[in-house]
Amino acid sequence: MTARAIWRRRLEQVLQWITGALLVLLAVEVLAGIAFRAARRPLSWYDEVASVLLAWITYYGSALAALKRSHIAFPGLVNGMPRAGRFVALAIRETAVLGFFLVLAWQGTSILRVLAGETLVTVDIPVALTQSVIPIGAALFVVAELLNLPDRVAWAEGGKVVVSAQQDAAKELSH
Amino acid sequence: MAIFVLFGAVMVLVLLNVPIAIALGVVALVAILHAGGIAALANVPLVMYTGSTSFPLIAIPLFILAGAIMNASGISRRLIALSSAVFGFVRGALAQVTIVTSLFFAEISGSAVADAAALGTILIPAMKSKGYSKEFSAAVLSSASTLAVIIPPSIPMILYAAMADTSVVKLFVAGIVPGVLGGLLMMVIAYRFARLYNLPVEEKFDRRRVWAALKEASWSLVLPALILGGIFGGVVTATEGAALAVLAAVVIGTVIYRELNLKALYTAMIDGVVQTAVVMLLVAASALLGIHLTEIQAPQKLAAAAAALSNSRWLVLMLLNLLFLLLGLFLHSAAAIILVIPVVMPLVQAVGIDPVHFGIIVTINLGIGQQTPPVASVLTVACSIARADIWEVTKVNLWFIGVLLLVLLLSTYVPLVPLSLVRLFYGG
Repeated sequence: MTARAIWRRRLEQVLQWITGALLVLLAVEVLAGIAFRAARRPLSWYDEVASVLLAWITYYGSALAALKRSHIAFPGLVNGMPRAGRFVALAIRETAVLGFFLVLAWQGTSILRVLAGETLVTVDIPVALTQSVIPIGAALFVVAELLNLPDRVAWAEGGKVVVSAQQDAAKELSH
Repeated sequence: MAIFVLFGAVMVLVLLNVPIAIALGVVALVAILHAGGIAALANVPLVMYTGSTSFPLIAIPLFILAGAIMNASGISRRLIALSSAVFGFVRGALAQVTIVTSLFFAEISGSAVADAAALGTILIPAMKSKGYSKEFSAAVLSSASTLAVIIPPSIPMILYAAMADTSVVKLFVAGIVPGVLGGLLMMVIAYRFARLYNLPVEEKFDRRRVWAALKEASWSLVLPALILGGIFGGVVTATEGAALAVLAAVVIGTVIYRELNLKALYTAMIDGVVQTAVVMLLVAASALLGIHLTEIQAPQKLAAAAAALSNSRWLVLMLLNLLFLLLGLFLHSAAAIILVIPVVMPLVQAVGIDPVHFGIIVTINLGIGQQTPPVASVLTVACSIARADIWEVTKVNLWFIGVLLLVLLLSTYVPLVPLSLVRLFYGG
């Protein structure tokens, strides 16, 4: 197994643990909110914290989706291109993906300084902590994209990226 | 004009294999830079964060989690046994069982792909072993699975409700009649094929067998129905109902059936997280572009221009149906909803179309899109399980797509079809 494959596997496992735990935590938190409301002691913070958990699932999950190449895209046209066209398309794709998330990481880090000292409305959790998911998630997305880059270059060279039909269709599991 | 330039740029990037969420984000980024310079970029992380914190959308990962737990608890097997006991005496019984089980499963799952994967791995091999052609097996499973997005709970409906700012509960109720109607019509088509191919009868009708199967499957039918009742009755929100569905699934899997397969559950959970993240990143990126579109009032200008051409809501509905059918050929339904709904809603409202009625129309359209290649997620899963060629399956599937088109036409031009239950429960 190459060093890249080992790092890819490690990152995938860590992201799976984080996102799996966040999902369980979200379910437990919403259930606690219902239980306390039924007991006429509603938790004032429950929907705000649940929304924060959803944002964390979004960005850590997005990095995981990048690693698994699961973001919704339309590869039909570029797959039919000759070698040169594939390289041009790949260069545009990588510039767009890496450029967008590098800007997000940069601006996301800057905004954390502005938000220092602020807390959520209903509970004493620093906003800088909740919003840290943006620069961290963006950086993880960049790492995931770079780990997949050699495979994409091999595809542009004329190799075939094998994606099973079921894997491809699983992109729409949420539908 | 600006809106066409922006969407043109998004489409070019998408055609170059840039993920749709990132294409939206990049175009928004350039538009923001153009309008406000580098200083305006400070808003980008704030909008990308708030765009991913919509409370109603929390229902999406929770319904996926509930479906995953129930499926890892042997629920598919029990629902199939029940359908088989009731419809086993009909010619081509396994096709009928596939459709009826999909109707039951739709009450638990909000995802057509999840349905196709869960039921297809059991039912397609069973059909093939009884002499059903692989094309017919894949077609019936694929089309029946699409009922999951029309019958509540439905993940596309949750997404539509958030994007269109309308009631997800009313949407859920509005989906019941078109979904059941679609299922019944599919059973008629399946029976026609059964006569044509002389497909076998499975077993005689036996009341004791039906009762035994009903007792086995009752928990997995009654608990989700109670939760949906709680959502319809306003006792809990859709998000809270989704969390209760998770709890019900855990109780059914660990206490009642005692069959919870933890490895399968973990895999399904991670798949669910990934799919949630994919959809939510789209939502957040569309919020970024949405802010720019709102600033230049693009959707309002588009609505005014379209309304000036025709004020007929029936004509507008026909054009929007064509647009969504076309989009369904190439786009996954979440992407279609997120890209198009914010832009067309001002037009929908300007010509007086009920947003709940429109939501059902969008959902059925995108359900059809899951059956029409080249981008046909549910059909792809069914074909992959049946090891059948997607275009050969499509030839058979055209009959079932015809059923979905008929349901779409009825739901579009006879608003009482989707809205009768909504009016009965909520007035108006």
